[in-house]
Amino acid sequence: MWLPLLGLVIGIIIGLKSPSLPQTWAQYMSVTVLAAMDSVFGGIRAGMEKKFDDTIFITGFFSNVLLAAGLAYIGERVGVALYTAAIFAFGVRIFQNLAIIRRHILKK
Amino acid sequence: MKRGQIYVTIVLLFLGMMIAVQVRSTRKFQQNAPTTRVQELTTRLQDVKDERDTLKDEVDNLRTKLDRISAGEETVNQAVRDELGKTRIEAGLAGVRGPGVQVILNDSPKELQPGENPNLYILHEEDLLKMVNELRAGGAEAISVNDQRLLATSEIRCAGNTILVNTKKIAPPIVMLATGDPDTLSSGLLIKGGIIESLRAWGLIAEVEKKKEITVPAFTGPITFNYSKPVK
Repeated sequence: MWLPLLGLVIGIIIGLKSPSLPQTWAQYMSVTVLAAMDSVFGGIRAGMEKKFDDTIFITGFFSNVLLAAGLAYIGERVGVALYTAAIFAFGVRIFQNLAIIRRHILKK
Repeated sequence: MKRGQIYVTIVLLFLGMMIAVQVRSTRKFQQNAPTTRVQELTTRLQDVKDERDTLKDEVDNLRTKLDRISAGEETVNQAVRDELGKTRIEAGLAGVRGPGVQVILNDSPKELQPGENPNLYILHEEDLLKMVNELRAGGAEAISVNDQRLLATSEIRCAGNTILVNTKKIAPPIVMLATGDPDTLSSGLLIKGGIIESLRAWGLIAEVEKKKEITVPAFTGPITFNYSKPVK
């Protein structure tokens, strides 16, 4: 259990030490953070339902992140705020997953 | 499950990294002036500049109008016109021409050695003040510093790393023009132990040139008296 937490802490440390991004990238970063959080909550939910599949989890994480960043990029090119679609979809899913996780915890 | 834990670790590592980078960059951008503020200030600067230009034009307009009235109108008799002309020269509102001297001042071209005080090798507003004082003592009738005509109300003041004359920034090389007797003026400046010698002692550049004819420009700004009233 503490190995993933260690990963999170190391990640935060790397993030604090690394050079900061240019302002134009901040928008992509915010969407990808949301996508990553969606994957993590999805993974926790799957683990609670005893359906956790590591391959699905890791491919889902990277495809979510890349799709979100890609949407934001295309959106900026064509002048439509497509990243709001990503924010909306991931936001809704995060809350749904959270609700299901909560029910699983309460049922125990 | 062991493999799954490693995957979760990798994913959380990425997540933590992204969150940290995002938080840091967001905080950094909030410290900068927002772009809207920058735009607002730019527009305001432009507005003020435009206003200044219009006012300058207005001053020019009024001056020419005044000139035309004093030159053209029949009813104004010659004595009054002469008096007005003299007063305008005295006030610095008319450019003047005549014999005089040209003084060129500049910072020391010497390369600064480490540990030396750079203040010793650059021109200061005191140097200009002393120079103006010496010129006036030598009977200068009209003086200009880098095209700024010196009036009775003119200041020569240090402002940061520039010098203000008539609230305009001037910078070396400084060209001073003074009308008057060229010999008296230049000998006053070049006297032993005088101003030019003391400036040259610091390596500053100070050149005096007698001229048969120089033109001292007129003052171009507005002259206002907000507080002073003439005594009856």
